[in-house]
Amino acid sequence: MKVDVGRWLGLGTNAPAYTYGTDDRFGVMSSSRVPERWVQTTCGYCSVGCGMFIGVRDGRAVSVKGDPDHPVNRGRLCPKGLAEHHTLAAEGRLTVPLVAGVPSSWDGALDHMASGFGRLLDEHGPEAVAVISTGQLVTEEFYALGKLVRGGLGLRHFDGNTTLCMSSAVSGYKRTFGSDGPPGCYADIDEADCILLVGANMADNHPLLMPRVLDNKAATVIVVDPRVTKTAMVADLHLAIRPRTDITLLNGMLKVILDEGLVDLAYVEAHTEGFAELAAHVQAYPLDRVAAECGVAAGDVRRAALVFGRAERAFTGWTMGVNHSVQGTATVTLINTLNLVTGNVGRAGAAPFSITGQCNAMGTREAGATASLPGYRNWDSADDRADMADLWGVPVNRLPTQRGRAYPDIIDGILDGTIKGLWIIATNPPVSFPNRRRLEKALSMLDLLVVQDGFETPTTAMADVVLPAGIWGEKDGTYTNSERRASRVSQAVDPPGLARSDFDIFVAVAGAFGLADELFPGWTGPRDAFDEWRRVSAGRLCDYSGMTWEAIEEAGGLQWPCPDPRAQSTQSARSASSAAGNGTAPAGSARLYGDGVFPTPSGRARLWCVDPEPITDAPDDEYPLLLNTGRTVEHWHTRTKTGRVAILEGLAPEGWIDLNPEDANRLGFHQGERVDMVSRRGSVTGIPVRITSVVRPGEVFMPFHYDELCVNRLTIDEFDPISREPNYKQAAVRLERH
Amino acid sequence: MIDGSLLHLLDVDLEGAIGRSVDELGLEDAPALLPLDAGEQYRFSFDMTVCIGCHSCEVACAEQNGSPVEALWRRVGELESGVFPDVHRHSLSMACNHCLEPTCLSGCPTNAYVKLDNGVVKHLADSCIGCQYCIWNCPYEVPVFNPDRRIVTKCDMCQPRLEAGELPACVLACPTEAIGVEKVDVAAWRADHSAADGPGLPPSSITLSTTRIILPVDLPADAAPVHAGAIRPADPHWPLIALTLLTQLAVGTVAATVALEAVARWQQALTGVRSHDVLAPGAVAAFVSGAVALAASVLHLGRPVHAWKSLRNLRHSWLSREVALFGAFAAVAMVYAVSWLVGLPTIAVGGTGVAIGLAGVYASGRLYLVPARPAWNSPRTLVAFFATCVASGPLLAALVLDRAALPVAWPRILYGVAGAGTMVQLAVYQHVAASVAARRDREVQAFGALLFGRFRGLLAARVMLGVGAVVLCIAAGLAQPGSSVAAVLVALAFTVTATGELAGRYLFYVTVVPMTAARSFFHGWS
Repeated sequence: MKVDVGRWLGLGTNAPAYTYGTDDRFGVMSSSRVPERWVQTTCGYCSVGCGMFIGVRDGRAVSVKGDPDHPVNRGRLCPKGLAEHHTLAAEGRLTVPLVAGVPSSWDGALDHMASGFGRLLDEHGPEAVAVISTGQLVTEEFYALGKLVRGGLGLRHFDGNTTLCMSSAVSGYKRTFGSDGPPGCYADIDEADCILLVGANMADNHPLLMPRVLDNKAATVIVVDPRVTKTAMVADLHLAIRPRTDITLLNGMLKVILDEGLVDLAYVEAHTEGFAELAAHVQAYPLDRVAAECGVAAGDVRRAALVFGRAERAFTGWTMGVNHSVQGTATVTLINTLNLVTGNVGRAGAAPFSITGQCNAMGTREAGATASLPGYRNWDSADDRADMADLWGVPVNRLPTQRGRAYPDIIDGILDGTIKGLWIIATNPPVSFPNRRRLEKALSMLDLLVVQDGFETPTTAMADVVLPAGIWGEKDGTYTNSERRASRVSQAVDPPGLARSDFDIFVAVAGAFGLADELFPGWTGPRDAFDEWRRVSAGRLCDYSGMTWEAIEEAGGLQWPCPDPRAQSTQSARSASSAAGNGTAPAGSARLYGDGVFPTPSGRARLWCVDPEPITDAPDDEYPLLLNTGRTVEHWHTRTKTGRVAILEGLAPEGWIDLNPEDANRLGFHQGERVDMVSRRGSVTGIPVRITSVVRPGEVFMPFHYDELCVNRLTIDEFDPISREPNYKQAAVRLERH
Repeated sequence: MIDGSLLHLLDVDLEGAIGRSVDELGLEDAPALLPLDAGEQYRFSFDMTVCIGCHSCEVACAEQNGSPVEALWRRVGELESGVFPDVHRHSLSMACNHCLEPTCLSGCPTNAYVKLDNGVVKHLADSCIGCQYCIWNCPYEVPVFNPDRRIVTKCDMCQPRLEAGELPACVLACPTEAIGVEKVDVAAWRADHSAADGPGLPPSSITLSTTRIILPVDLPADAAPVHAGAIRPADPHWPLIALTLLTQLAVGTVAATVALEAVARWQQALTGVRSHDVLAPGAVAAFVSGAVALAASVLHLGRPVHAWKSLRNLRHSWLSREVALFGAFAAVAMVYAVSWLVGLPTIAVGGTGVAIGLAGVYASGRLYLVPARPAWNSPRTLVAFFATCVASGPLLAALVLDRAALPVAWPRILYGVAGAGTMVQLAVYQHVAASVAARRDREVQAFGALLFGRFRGLLAARVMLGVGAVVLCIAAGLAQPGSSVAAVLVALAFTVTATGELAGRYLFYVTVVPMTAARSFFHGWS
């Protein structure tokens, strides 16, 4: 009370909290941010994979700094990264296991989980329990989790939230090249003559790739996006196409490239198949049709095609604008096709490049056991299963013979009664999955829902068992970024309360199921998982066998394939235990397919003929506007972290709708007014309107981050038939006065 | 290509760049800023063509300085123009512009600002009392009140880093090198500072902002900040409503009392009839009003116990002068009141009080005449403040005096003067309306939109109260002197006048729209 009076009178100015100190490495900074030591790590938000340091003092993370020597970000960070240490001490952390909402011991929670899932598996078989994981864990944890779920429990249905963002890229790569794995790297952006960005708003979503785009003054930058994004603003040419017309545009560009003789015939002949069909197919896309359907000028389409076709080195980057579609896989194959026919694969500056979403979506694609067995092994290959069972030392008949249900099909499985138990790890479906009402109905039908997370979320609120997990900054391992670069992630501080690293939780869960000795014999930490993963990946496309944690740290990240430099064959690589000794430092690989040989049965890459499909939930009289969804730079996914960081939350405190002035005038809405948005599946009320010409008349945009104003109450639960990725980008809505 | 180092930003290919490349420095060395030559200072540059609106500078600044989210020193605003798909959207990152003529500094009553030799406009926390007058004075709204410290804080271009030869945090954090530090020839910049101007920015001529802004060559002239249409009422500043109204009431009351005393003494000299003995309550009421005003005003400060520091800048700051004059006025009013109570009235003391009080009201009005707040920056602010004295003081005097003991005409004169004061007050709104109609600048248009739009109900009430006050003044004058009807009418006239003045002053504060740098959608609209 006395203090408050003094404060009110203004006796002092709290000056001690606002002094400056000097750090040996980074110079003068607020004393409150000067650490005792810096812990080298990698950012835990997006997949750019920026190198950074966490400053630690008195066991607390007090600051972060970009790593000036890291090849990815060269010292800079985005606003989320710059405030990342605040996530560690944010309110809302889970600190104790919960059973039915009541604090429990770890043994009690794990017993409840193991007995509950065990009963369901006994009574209903291995289809009765499913797991939905994430792209946020370290590779070592993904590997251990995959081994537990598939090799130990033998569960049939296991997927990750990566299906909500990257699965179309995976499927597209597989269809074209025979394997997942982005062929290019960030340096390609530096070296390209033409940078084509399709559905990729990097300025908001991958800010630290933008310096490469801006610094490459020689390149013509073409942005394809229905919105005038921050990225579109720095483009030399912006093709503001109508939603779902990217396939039409790409076909039109291909036709121009063919007609103008810009095809790299030597490359096509030597390394691809299906060109004749493609050449015939794109004849149906003359410029006038393309211009009319895409809503852009024919001259702009032609110019884009000519610039791309004439470029010595053309780079195509894409993200969710492509992937978040029922035609995501098809669009990816068409982007690959565009790059293949112009010979833009496997060379510096030339790549069809999927810019990934989460910090370690790549890690789960490679080392997890969801859509593929670890090391890009296929579920439906008896040889791969036998190989994997051998490496794991488990009976081969325990492994599923198919990948099982993907994420949306797991939800369907709950609704149809097949799946009765679900383990959700580090993801928040009520906010991130389309058609929230149906999703929440499914989660409420479960006999047992176990949720493992670092924070209280709408998902943990629905859980029967909550397992408190350590987050970024509290655990060790590696992340692999968009350019296949594995970087080290380091523990700076301890998880709060009783929370444990996800790795420890997986080992403990294995113990509760009586599988620990079989699956994780003698394992004491994530490094054991990494060493086994190196052996498992040896000789595969995603070869980590040449990496060690130390070598990764030394190099500022290593890009796979990174075979053991001391091993001359995959067999010897498989038995190697260390790669960093004796001056044979592993180098890693900047690019794939430099030799034009692809892991397809024929060794050739496949060219695909693709046609556009109409939007299912198209606008009509009742729902006259087309809703597009996306992100903003200040927030990450469902805001479980960034919503708790005051400065980020202050910059973008709530969801909003971008609405064209023409529509606003017609509807009589004024700037900042709160409105309701309604789709065939639900409604969101009280959303502030931002009247802006960055969206086309008839289209609205809303970011998806917000539980409170959750756009996924409106989106359609419609999925790519191949990748099972949701179609977040097109849904019919109407706006109503609030 | 980026050269792969943290420090390469020093190697800017712009004229006037202050740094050296990492190759010259070596990574082990601290980056040395180029020394300033005579007549030069440091400044920020901002390249709008490469800013991607990532807000990293804002966060880096807050981390560098430990700033709470309520008091950010660098902020990123947005501009937009055009029709889809030919749309321009750009971001403007702005911290302090380290102006050549910093109005934060010249207006500060406590001399809490200094312009350092290197050009940095530095704020001194110990001297600040949290009056926030600098926020009113800065056309860019750069200084921000830090509620944790209860003082204003602002960007000092990372002066502690500059001293160590290091670049500011925002410069180092910008992924696209949009922010830089350069040195500028002060005399040349004074002659031509047009590079500090841009769409949606206040004219650089007000303070001679030094930030060099590189605009897209094809940026349309109509590019407007996205916050432009967001018109939010300003803080009513209740302590300042109390301060200004009560000081003006006090000055008006003393003036009325002293005027009556002067007439009475003159009449006594003529007729030998002593009639001014009844004036004591007027002097007391004036002193009480003035004292309450001063007491209320310190509630406006972040650091009330340091209020005395506001006397430090009498040479430049109208706020210092206001404090000094009203302080002196209160003291003299007290002496005047006490002299009445002990039966030794001195008209010289009263007259001195009136003179000081009127000077105080003038200073009080002058401090609102700042270019950064165009709605206030008009002589009508002075007119309105003096009109408040005239409209309210005579009625308070009439109310507290024993009117029956006064010559019959005297109260009537008081009512008449007060009614005239209110009529002037109402005429001020005519001037406002004409001014809003004549001017196109956003701040005046938005001021008009608030006054005649959002607050039109309160404005109508204020006008009706004014009309009512005039009618009541007339009615009081017509009523039988000494009758209870007259007493009721005087009381009503004062109450209605005071209520009208309260409404008017509230409108004065809440309808002002400050100049500002471009802000973001959420900063403007939510």
